Amino acid sequence: MTLSQSDFSYVSTLVRREASIVLAPGKEYLVEARLIPVARAVGAAGVAEFLSDLQRRPDKANERLVVDALTTNETSWFRDREPFTALTDVVLPDLVKSRGAQRKLRVWSAASSSGQEAYSLAITMQEHLPPGWSFEIVGSDISTEMVKRAETAEYSQVEVNRGLPAAQLVQYFERAGAHWRVMPALRRNISFKLMNLTAPLPPMPPFDVIFLRNVLIYFDVATKKNVLRNVARLLRPDGWLFLGAAETTIGIDDNYERVAAGRTSAYRIRSAVPVGAARRG
Amino acid sequence: MSVDVVVKEGDLAEMVEQVWVSYLDPEGVNPLVPTGDAKQPSEVHSSVSITGSWTGHVVYASSIKAAKMAAAAFLAMEVEEIGVEDLSDVLGELANIVGGNVKAMLPPGCFLSLPQVVMAPDSATKYPSAERISGLYGVWDGEPVSVSMWQSRDGRNEGESA
Amino acid sequence: MRAMVIDDSRAMRMILKRIVSKLNFEATEAGDGQEALDLLATMTEVPELALIDWNMPNMNGLEFVTRVRSDPRLREMTLVMVTTESEQSQIVRALAAGAHEYVIKPFTEGAMIEKLALLGLVPTGANS
Repeated sequence: MTLSQSDFSYVSTLVRREASIVLAPGKEYLVEARLIPVARAVGAAGVAEFLSDLQRRPDKANERLVVDALTTNETSWFRDREPFTALTDVVLPDLVKSRGAQRKLRVWSAASSSGQEAYSLAITMQEHLPPGWSFEIVGSDISTEMVKRAETAEYSQVEVNRGLPAAQLVQYFERAGAHWRVMPALRRNISFKLMNLTAPLPPMPPFDVIFLRNVLIYFDVATKKNVLRNVARLLRPDGWLFLGAAETTIGIDDNYERVAAGRTSAYRIRSAVPVGAARRG
Repeated sequence: MSVDVVVKEGDLAEMVEQVWVSYLDPEGVNPLVPTGDAKQPSEVHSSVSITGSWTGHVVYASSIKAAKMAAAAFLAMEVEEIGVEDLSDVLGELANIVGGNVKAMLPPGCFLSLPQVVMAPDSATKYPSAERISGLYGVWDGEPVSVSMWQSRDGRNEGESA
Repeated sequence: MRAMVIDDSRAMRMILKRIVSKLNFEATEAGDGQEALDLLATMTEVPELALIDWNMPNMNGLEFVTRVRSDPRLREMTLVMVTTESEQSQIVRALAAGAHEYVIKPFTEGAMIEKLALLGLVPTGANS
């Protein structure tokens, strides 16, 4: 079944706008092939139905799925930048104030994929925590292959070009053949685990910051609730949760409230008694 | 004397794939498919020489059609519009990019020459004091494309075109 | 905004010009560092951005960066190296000489746009 011209046109415009990708005519089969899994994931009968729904009722999250499906599989460092800026400008100063006794932060990269997010978080911690502070990062993913890749911490030339400032490349990476590998000093505080977010999670000490980005969009509402509930149990009461750009807890889990964090939003456990001015980010 | 270096087929394949992903096939629909056919013919080739702590050459070779396809991708032109100068420039840049990436895997203290482009099969250029130590052979849209690496046996770099 | 693309390969200049044009830069080009300096001397408005190859005849990219950073008229330009030179020491040298960013060839369009975004040269919402 081939994509209609108007559907192809719609997708072309979308990916051009969102990712600077130009789909030449004749690539209908490609779009079709790449969107079949997406249509399946959202429960549509097929690609045509998925696209016609999307055009009738625009939905940022589903648009994101379309764009992701058609871009080449390169994950960026410091993806979307704003959450990392929020960490630097808002979250870390807040946590440094409240964790003065322990002087240690725990961060979870809850869909760590090939590891760029976890190592980006490590670089951020390394550069913005005051002297004398330490951090521990846990990265988890449902795929054994991804966990292995993340542990190997080796990235190709093309991969390290993506969003990683050159100054940080030379500071935190060393050459390994044709690849670049994260230096041991930075890897010391990071571990990767195999984990399925939709299953009961293994007990872990709670985290100060959790990045759960671009994974909820692949789940139905019931699963989203389940995951957010599981994650809440592992977030410190005054901890910070970051979701993907097109994701939210609103309408799904009332235990979180959305707060401004720099130019983006973060989610914190809603409590009856306000923790203090710092909560308002 | 050249230090013995291990740049394997897999490394070359990865470098070449990255050139395709970046410039020649950004949508991932028309990759270079390895064939392993070291005897496949070519019609044009380009090379860079490496000197310093390692001496040798990196050679790109392909059919004219493949070279024109590459030029068309780089220059955003139609294959039919590609002239000799455009072809020469793109062939040189391909050798430069792959050669540069190979150099990054070599011991420090290596230098890359300016690329040399020859509108003839790669068999027309002989490297009498070098041997081929690695090569990637494949087809791109049915057209032969290869990248090979030659190491000088005794520190001399010679490329004699027939 | 204006950008200058400096590389001895016409093919590479075409690729870079295409990318910066997408970001609404007006692009000029030069085939080596000396040609670029000569061209800059004639311009009343200095480009905000220069994308610079390393290995070029007459004057290489590193030398160009050094010259620009010590020229009060050109010092404000954002300088991005775009090169196959990818040894750690080379990158450190370029950054020390005053380059603001470094892109290793080959690069995807998305990667180049992200690097420019890091430098604040991409209007927000225009990773498009």
